[in-house]
Amino acid sequence: MRNNSAAGRADLLPRVVIPLLLASCVSAPALADEAMQWVQKMSDAMRGLSYSGNFVYMHDNQLESMQISHYRDADGEKERLLSLNGEAREVFRDNQNLTCIWPSSRKVVVDLSRKNSFSPIFIPDDIARLEKFYDMKLLGMDRVANHNTVVVHIEPRDTYRYGIKFWINRDNHLMMKSSLLDEQYREIEQVMFTSLRVYGDDEKPLIETLPKIDESYTMVRYHRGDSSKSVEVDNAWQLSHTPGGFWRESVLRRMIQGTENFVQQMVYTDGLASLSVFIERETSDSLSGATSMGAVNAYMRIHANHSITAIGEVPAITVKEVAESITYRQQ
Amino acid sequence: MKEQDEKLSYLLDDYADENASGNVDEVIGDVNLQYRMRRYRMIGEIMRHELPPAIDTGFHEAVMARIAREVGAVQDRKPRAMLDSSTPAPLLSRGIFKPIAGLAVAASVAIVTVALWQPQSQDARQPDAGLAEADQIKIQQLAGQRIAGSAVPVSTGVPTRGTRWKIDRGSPELQQKLNAYLVNHTEYSNSVQGLIPQARVAGFDAQQ
Repeated sequence: MRNNSAAGRADLLPRVVIPLLLASCVSAPALADEAMQWVQKMSDAMRGLSYSGNFVYMHDNQLESMQISHYRDADGEKERLLSLNGEAREVFRDNQNLTCIWPSSRKVVVDLSRKNSFSPIFIPDDIARLEKFYDMKLLGMDRVANHNTVVVHIEPRDTYRYGIKFWINRDNHLMMKSSLLDEQYREIEQVMFTSLRVYGDDEKPLIETLPKIDESYTMVRYHRGDSSKSVEVDNAWQLSHTPGGFWRESVLRRMIQGTENFVQQMVYTDGLASLSVFIERETSDSLSGATSMGAVNAYMRIHANHSITAIGEVPAITVKEVAESITYRQQ
Repeated sequence: MKEQDEKLSYLLDDYADENASGNVDEVIGDVNLQYRMRRYRMIGEIMRHELPPAIDTGFHEAVMARIAREVGAVQDRKPRAMLDSSTPAPLLSRGIFKPIAGLAVAASVAIVTVALWQPQSQDARQPDAGLAEADQIKIQQLAGQRIAGSAVPVSTGVPTRGTRWKIDRGSPELQQKLNAYLVNHTEYSNSVQGLIPQARVAGFDAQQ
C-alpha cells in the first residue's frame, strides 16, 4: 500500500505538479523569459551533447526519414545526416568542411563549415530585442518518441517572420520536435525525432567516414576548408532601409570556384530568423522574380549589372523587400 | 460556374495572381468547391501519372473525411487568438490551398492512413499529445513496420522526389546556384530552427 501511494505521488509529479507549476508562472514576461531559457538550453544541448537517432522531415506534402549522428569532444563537433528514403543523400559536417553527397548520382559538394558555430545563439541583450518581434509562450507538456517534453511557442508579432514551436526534452534539453508555422498558423515544415539515444562522456556515436569519393563523382563546388580565400568585402552594397527590423549580422566575400568573379554574402537577422543576400555579377542565367522551396523563399533581382538574391526561411514579403532595398552606394 | 472553374484551375496550376487570396477564401467557404478542387487535383495527378498504383480511391475518400474531422477537432482546440481571421493572407497561394486540396494523394494517403486507427482518447492536460503519438505511428508505417490491427493496403513505394525550387523557366544551373546559396546561408546564419535547415540540405533533389 505504501509503495502504491509513493508511486501515486511520483506519478503526480509529471502529470499534475509540473503542469501546475508551469501554469502558475505569474506574469507574461516571466513566462517569456522561461520560454527563452528553454530555447537557449535546447540550443546548447543540440551542439554540446553527443546523440544519434532517426527523425522525420515533413515539407511540401513530402515526408522524409533521416538519421542523425552528432558527436562533440574537445576537438569540436562532427555531425552526419543521412536521408533514409530514396537516394541515400548524406551531409557530413566537422569543424572545417560541410560535405553533401549524393551517391547514386555521384555528386558531391564540399564547402566551408561555419566558423564559431559553437557560440551560444542568444546573449542576454538579445532577449529584449527579440520580444519586439516575437511573443514567447510556454504551451505545456507533451510526449514525443517516448520522451517528456516542454512545448515552447515563438509567435511572430508581424508578417515578416514565421512562427515556430519547439518540443524540448525535459531531461536533456534536446529538441524532439519542431514546427515552422506560416502567417495562418499552418505547419509548413516539421521535424520530429522518432528515436533518440544520448551518449555519455565515455561513449560516442558511430559516425562513419565518408564513402570513398573517386573520380567518377562530380565535384559541384569545392573549398579547401579554410577561409584564407575570403577577400575584402565591398561596403558599397547597402540596405536603403531594413524591412521588419532585420539587421546585418555578418558579411563575407569569396571568389566563385573556377571563375574570376566574386560573390558577396550579407546575413541579416532579427535574432531568431535570418536571411542572406548574395550579390554577384550578372550572367546570362540571371533572373528576376520569386521562388520558394518549402518554407524557404528567395527573391532575385538585377541591379547595377549585378544579380541580387535574397534567400532565407522567412515569408516571401521579407526576401522581396530586402532584395529591393539593396543599393550600390559608391563612396 | 465557369468562372469558378477557371479560378480553381488557376489555383491548381499555381497561376494565382494578387487576387488569389480572394479566390482561396471563396474555396475555403464552399464545401462543394473544395470537393471539386480536390477532384480536379486528383485528375491532374492521374494525368501526370503521379498516383501510385496501389491507391484505393474509395479508401482515399474515407481518409480525407477523417482528415476533415480531425482538422475540425484541432481547430476547436486552438485558442481564439489563433483563429483570428483578421490575420493578413499570405502573398503566395502555396500556403493557402495545399491544406485544402490536400495532402497530395501520392504521399499523403500513406502518411495519414494510420490516423484512422488511432485511439480517440487524449489527455487534456497534455496538449497535442495524441497528435504526437499518431505521428510516430505514421512514421513506423512508412518505415514498413507492421502495426497490429492495421490492414490498410497502402503502397510502400511512396515516391520521394527530394527538394526542388519552384522555378518555371530556371535552368539546372540556377537550381544548383540557389542550392549553393541555401547551403551557405544555412552555414553562415544562426537560425534557431532545430534540425530543419540541415534537413533541407539533405533533402535536396539529386537531379538538380
